Amino acid sequence: MKITAFVLLAFAVLLAQPAAAQPKVAIKLGDNLPDRSNTWGAVVEQINAEFKAANPGAELVTESYPDQPYQQKIKIYATAKQLPDVFKFWSFTSLLKPLVNGGFIEPLNPSDFDKLDYLTGALESNVYNGKLYGIPVSADLWVIYYNKKLFKDAGIEAPPATIDELIATAAKLKAKGIVPMVTDGKDAWPLCVTFDQLAWRISGDATLPRKALARTARFTDPVFVQAAKELVRMIKAGLFQDDLMVSDYGAARNLFGQGRAAMYLMGSWELGLGADKTFSAEFRSNVDAFKFPLVAGGKGKVDDLFAWYGGNYVVSASSKNKALAVKYLQFYARRFPALAWEKQAALPAQKVAARPGDTAVAKTLLRIVAEAKATSGTPSLDLSSPRFKDDIENAMRELASGLISAEEFTQKIDVAADKASRR
Amino acid sequence: MLRPGLGSRLLHAGLLLFALSQLFPLLWVFIYSIQKSGDLFGPELIKLPAEPQWSNYARAWSDGRILRYGWNSVLVVTASTAASTALSFGMAYAIARLRWRLKAFALTAITLGMVVPVHTTLLPNFIWFGWFGLVDTRIGLVIPYVAFTLPINTLIYVGQLHHLPESIEEAALIDGASWPRILWSVVLPLATPATVTVAVLTFLTNWNEFIMANTYLATDDLRTLPFSIIRFQGQYASDYAAQFACMVIVALPPLALYLACSHRIMAGATAGAVKG
Amino acid sequence: MSARGPFGNRLVIAALVVPGAAVLVFVLVVPLAFSVYYSLTDWAGFGDYQRIGIANYREILTDDPVFWRSLRNAVVLIVVTIFVQNPIAFAVAAILSHVSARLSRVLRTIYFIPAALSLVIVAKLWVDIFNPNFGILNKVLIAVGLKALAISWLSNPHTALGAVIWIIVWQGFGWALLFFYAGLMTVPRDIIEAARIDGASVFQTYTRVIIPYLAPVISAVIVIDVISSMKQMELIYLSTGGGPGQLTQFIGVYLYQKAFVAGEYGYGNALSVVFVVVAVGLTVIVQRVLRAVPRDEG
Repeated sequence: MKITAFVLLAFAVLLAQPAAAQPKVAIKLGDNLPDRSNTWGAVVEQINAEFKAANPGAELVTESYPDQPYQQKIKIYATAKQLPDVFKFWSFTSLLKPLVNGGFIEPLNPSDFDKLDYLTGALESNVYNGKLYGIPVSADLWVIYYNKKLFKDAGIEAPPATIDELIATAAKLKAKGIVPMVTDGKDAWPLCVTFDQLAWRISGDATLPRKALARTARFTDPVFVQAAKELVRMIKAGLFQDDLMVSDYGAARNLFGQGRAAMYLMGSWELGLGADKTFSAEFRSNVDAFKFPLVAGGKGKVDDLFAWYGGNYVVSASSKNKALAVKYLQFYARRFPALAWEKQAALPAQKVAARPGDTAVAKTLLRIVAEAKATSGTPSLDLSSPRFKDDIENAMRELASGLISAEEFTQKIDVAADKASRR
Repeated sequence: MLRPGLGSRLLHAGLLLFALSQLFPLLWVFIYSIQKSGDLFGPELIKLPAEPQWSNYARAWSDGRILRYGWNSVLVVTASTAASTALSFGMAYAIARLRWRLKAFALTAITLGMVVPVHTTLLPNFIWFGWFGLVDTRIGLVIPYVAFTLPINTLIYVGQLHHLPESIEEAALIDGASWPRILWSVVLPLATPATVTVAVLTFLTNWNEFIMANTYLATDDLRTLPFSIIRFQGQYASDYAAQFACMVIVALPPLALYLACSHRIMAGATAGAVKG
Repeated sequence: MSARGPFGNRLVIAALVVPGAAVLVFVLVVPLAFSVYYSLTDWAGFGDYQRIGIANYREILTDDPVFWRSLRNAVVLIVVTIFVQNPIAFAVAAILSHVSARLSRVLRTIYFIPAALSLVIVAKLWVDIFNPNFGILNKVLIAVGLKALAISWLSNPHTALGAVIWIIVWQGFGWALLFFYAGLMTVPRDIIEAARIDGASVFQTYTRVIIPYLAPVISAVIVIDVISSMKQMELIYLSTGGGPGQLTQFIGVYLYQKAFVAGEYGYGNALSVVFVVVAVGLTVIVQRVLRAVPRDEG
């Protein structure tokens, strides 16, 4: 009987309160930062607090989800015409373009975002059909992090400058029981980005993937085949962790942070490694980064920097508060660089000054950005339709697992590019 | 009772060994939950931390909004479990013991209900439920929770209701009992093992359910417990230790419920248990 | 009372069936109708689309090796579940019904723990155990001198499916145990006594009396196994993601990837429709087969 009573009470509560009473909402925000007490999420909370203080009467309500559920929810909201007023989204063709084409995103006025010290190419990545559809917030560079102490232990004098040298370090490190390099193999995109990077190092031409997608070049061209072969060579040489293909992001990162792997192939958003208290002090004082190596005989230069702008903010076309939304974006753009750098939460898409207390790895990343002579833009897997991204990721998994050859891989992605170009 | 002797002792030893292996996952999660995030996923399967990080639990509790989310989960899951159990009992009884022409069709239709993948219902229902104002409400989550557990619960009940001798209802009918009384006082007690199974299954399924809660709820104050784990997820790396602490907290209520209910499995069957 | 007798009382039947049916219709019929509709388009999940007739279905049935592999994997899982997991679970349930009540209760709770844990934990745990360098499985194998067997279980094309199926079957064991134990509790004491009086051994009592009596319960469990095997999603998604190279793909994961990750919502819905048809068909066949198995009314 007690159970019955409780059940009835539960139903009564559920039916009596339809939804939590909501205050008058001025702007609805959306992002993929569920953790509000650390790093980027904490930065946004601070920005929001400051914005509310500077604009009394403005209310901000945020919905946050992890990546995959977030993308799904945005799509559902778009269809149900309930998009948040301002939301964080990727500038990638594979993600933003469909929303732009569907008329869901409001074009922005570039002059509203003047004099904010954007890095080269940052704003351009958000331009579709000649209009600016979002503002970039973070810059993503593709680098290799390394543990100086482990290098010394294995007798490696300096970071490798070529792929051949990189592969040579594998034997030395393995002899000491150290995993040479780790990356997230379970999500195929890091390997896809590396594939693009290798192709650039070989050809010296960052526009080749774009051309292949536009069908003025082909993924079966020798450059791409060689890039795939280089990648396979790296894997077969035992450069990566043994369980690469089931190793997810967290597992790879922790292997590096625990001092069991000497190198970590990942993006600049990991600049916080030098300050991450969940790792030992020894690790934190020894972590640094170096530029992606050259390919012997390739035309690429070491200051060709593979960089894209992944974190962006857009405004919904059906927002009822567009003026306030744009005002929020401007405020965000002004405050984010300093706050993000202070918390080591992200590498801003705008110029920041190094601080004396910065960790070695943070300083190195700033230096790499400053020394860059050319940047690549969005990697090829995100330059086309979502279907293409799925196809190239699946093909990459097969290539990295040794199930298909480099030639078969390039054939598969060329077919996928062909299909995508016809839609 | 088993006869004492070497065979019995070996059997008991085997059962205990097996029990240790089944306890292992809980132990593993617990040990992970008191480590530092950075120490997880390392080479040792079980590594006792030098200093247990109980702060993970404090963080899980407060930053994970366990109290708020937990209350929502209790409401939603209790209501949906009760409703699903009641409705499935009714349907199963009608299918297993009453006579009507559409019986076979009903069973097939119910099986169809079990086969529909959840993901394909999210977008249409988001819009369809929205017409009734059910989106972003807790009662709006209860209804699909009932719907997705109804078919399997009905099948379980049907399996167990088959064998009851017809004389049971007939005796009560002759005595002039009404159908509600027959079902509640006569049949339901006999089906207690099935009821326990169904209740535990439904409770557990909905307690850990994430994707529908994620889709249909927007307001943070209404969210359910699985979301507490998400709150520690960063864009790339996450606060893994706190997530494990959350997982331990979330796993405890269903286990407690199971422990409390499992003895009731033996109650009800008039002919008694299969105990030698 | 109508001529149908009390067991045909229409009002009672309606009162018992209609509420549940209403909930099912409300939640499932609309999405199913939408699924069929979208499956005839090339919709990406939002924005514009075009109607393309049965092109998606044609592609699934003639040009999609991943679909057929998913079906094959599901069949393997079904066979392992029915012929390996269930007999073991039944045996353990039977044993537990013979030990002391308190021991039985404690052990049943402990045996149920893996089933009560969230699938995220189960997946992470086994990925850890199967880790080729650090996992306990390989460490044990090396320690007993079987170094050649210490491979990368979840990424090796030959063992990946077996490893994934092991995880699924291991996790489901607690449920099978619960279903069978609950079933055993309903067996009337008198028919067991009757068998004992007739001189039947314990083994014979089980095979000739108890199991036939439990045929409806076992049938229900088998049907549930078939459907949940086909619907498996989370454990695969969280461990191998369908890899290596789509070798451990299951329909639930595949249609999720197509509909939500690859932006092929129309195709994903077509997969979903085909899946529903196949699953219902398979279930009907299984139910016919089970009904054809002769059983004792005890």
